[in-house]
Amino acid sequence: MVKRLDEMPEVEANHLRRIECPTYDDTPLLPGKPLAERRVAIISTAGLHRRGDRPFRPGDGSYRVIPEQTPANELVMSHISVNFDRTGFQQDLNVAFPIDRLRELVADDTVGSMASVHYSFMGAFPPEAAQPHAKHLAGLLKADKVDAALLVPV
Amino acid sequence: MGALGHFLEREGIPTVGISLVREHTETVRPPRALWVTFDLGRPLGIPDDPPFQRRVVKAALDLLARTDGPIIVDYPEFVTEEADFTGWACPINLAPTEVDTLAAEIDRLAAWYDRASATNGRTTVGVSGLDMPAAGMLVTQALDGELPAAQALKEAVDDLKAYYLEAASAFPDPGTAKTRKEWFWSETRLAAALLALQPKLAASSDPQHRILGNLTLIPATERHRVDRS
Repeated sequence: MVKRLDEMPEVEANHLRRIECPTYDDTPLLPGKPLAERRVAIISTAGLHRRGDRPFRPGDGSYRVIPEQTPANELVMSHISVNFDRTGFQQDLNVAFPIDRLRELVADDTVGSMASVHYSFMGAFPPEAAQPHAKHLAGLLKADKVDAALLVPV
Repeated sequence: MGALGHFLEREGIPTVGISLVREHTETVRPPRALWVTFDLGRPLGIPDDPPFQRRVVKAALDLLARTDGPIIVDYPEFVTEEADFTGWACPINLAPTEVDTLAAEIDRLAAWYDRASATNGRTTVGVSGLDMPAAGMLVTQALDGELPAAQALKEAVDDLKAYYLEAASAFPDPGTAKTRKEWFWSETRLAAALLALQPKLAASSDPQHRILGNLTLIPATERHRVDRS
């Protein structure tokens, strides 16, 4: 079980310590409707995309589009990092991209609805490279009436 | 990841994120985070366990009701590590012979890869657009001659790794994910080729080759093998 950095194997912990993380001014948390009335999109940073889409490259802050009906067999991963497990994703898409779990939560009325389109970034981006894309993405989400984003790392 | 929470919430989209590295999240301070103790690469915890995954998703989404942030909430469930039977040996004889080649190894795994794809109903191979013999050829050419473009090589290698590990998951006694990765790095000709390729990439005048050689070819946990190879 993974835990805090000082409890991890040294090699892995040192790799994670070297990743630069900026600190941002606090962002006010937006209020919203009850979950049963929300429309939720999944935003992954696992470097996922449809087979045939442009693979991610180092420094790439852009996103790829994953329509809700995308068959699991069409999704591949081109994250540049080799420092995380991929066998879980190979076995079960949902362990990295919980699209079927979200679908089930909509079906049992826990969640209002799911977005018609979901998205993936490739998490090893410099934040400034992703910021303009995220701003554009917010507009697309609003156009799809999305009022909640579930951010899933890898 | 946490940066996206700031960017989207500031543009009017309420966000909640799963956090895999608490220290990073404590620094970035995104609006809402659910910290989980799962392995990197498995943010929902356990493959093929829908109830477990559903509980994680629900716990994250429940944080959307909070407006008193930034908040980091610790997820209470843990994943116990898969039983790791020491002494597990790959049941398929992949031991190289004098005349063996990377191409032959790739060919030997095809039946197991096909079986894995049929069982899972999917494959994650297919980033490079190459078939596996062609991807293997690219690695061989990189070792023996001119280095191809870093991006093409990276995509081919990622596809080959996925092909090998998916194939191994269909072996008669597949062991655990951990033992299969150990098998990959210690017993396959492909891994030996990647370890031999690393110094060549690191010494290239092309900065993209150096990124590949130094960062995105060999996992940090396997780097110790480079010196030995």
